[in-house]
Amino acid sequence: MNKLNKSGAGKVFSVYWFAMILIIAGGVFAMVYLFYGTPFDVRELEAHVLTNKIADCVSYSGKINSNLISNGIISENKELFMENCHLTFSSIEWEEEQYYAEVDFYKLENLDNPFFSVTAGNSNWLSDCEIQENKEYKKLAKCNEGNFYSVDDANNQYIIKILTAVRKSEKNVKI
Amino acid sequence: MKNRTNRKLTLFQKNRRGNILIENVIFIILNVVFLAILAGFIYKQGNGVTVLEQSYAKNIALLIDSAKPITEMTLSMEDAFKLAKKNKIPNEEIVTINGNIVTVKLSSDSGYQYSFFNNVDATAYPDIFPKENYIIKINGYIYE
Repeated sequence: MNKLNKSGAGKVFSVYWFAMILIIAGGVFAMVYLFYGTPFDVRELEAHVLTNKIADCVSYSGKINSNLISNGIISENKELFMENCHLTFSSIEWEEEQYYAEVDFYKLENLDNPFFSVTAGNSNWLSDCEIQENKEYKKLAKCNEGNFYSVDDANNQYIIKILTAVRKSEKNVKI
Repeated sequence: MKNRTNRKLTLFQKNRRGNILIENVIFIILNVVFLAILAGFIYKQGNGVTVLEQSYAKNIALLIDSAKPITEMTLSMEDAFKLAKKNKIPNEEIVTINGNIVTVKLSSDSGYQYSFFNNVDATAYPDIFPKENYIIKINGYIYE
């Protein structure tokens, strides 16, 4: 009997062998299903691209866009920021806007309070950024922050901080 | 009687050696077949319609987001073309851009949409040569 179990016949027709095959197949199936069933999360990249795009629009070659600040005076058409930066946050795909962008201009003398701010998009996602300061939560909006130095026409110096948030959780996270 | 038993034993022992080899070969073949099925399943899942549609739609949306007007981008989509051909989807219908939404369709009963924030007029069409490429063209900004 022992000799028979050691032979191939013992292996092929062994219940244990079939059980092992089933466990391995089940494990592989579960892993593959979990891996490919989870959407690709591109929100971080999207938020990064949005930050760069806003930075290019707000300041080009180290000079602030004169449509926003000219000779130290805030231009009246700051509400046209979205149009100036060629951004469109609404889409028929979503009921509400899935993006939020905030640009704060700080004078070097006062880095605590912004001299001027421009916001666009859905401000509900701003709280998601605050929550995730210490820990990331997959289902909340992904945020990106960037800051740089620039000057206006009259050589007034500014530190510009850009905060962007992209939600689109349903398309990027398994909910 | 004793002789007959001895003869039987000798025959059995001879057959046992043959059996061990054949049974081991069958065992190895079955294992290889099992591994091949698993590998095939994983490959098929990785190149499935759902995965490819999603990855191409998101890729194209990100490309459009980071592009500036008067830009022409060529995207290699060989595996998508193969799958679309298999599912009888015309090449012109694989990628469509409607407003600020990119749609990638690789089978008649599926399709994946992803939106972009760059307010540009973008068009997508299959390349003439090589045929496995798709061209995404950013024509200009949209002024309302």
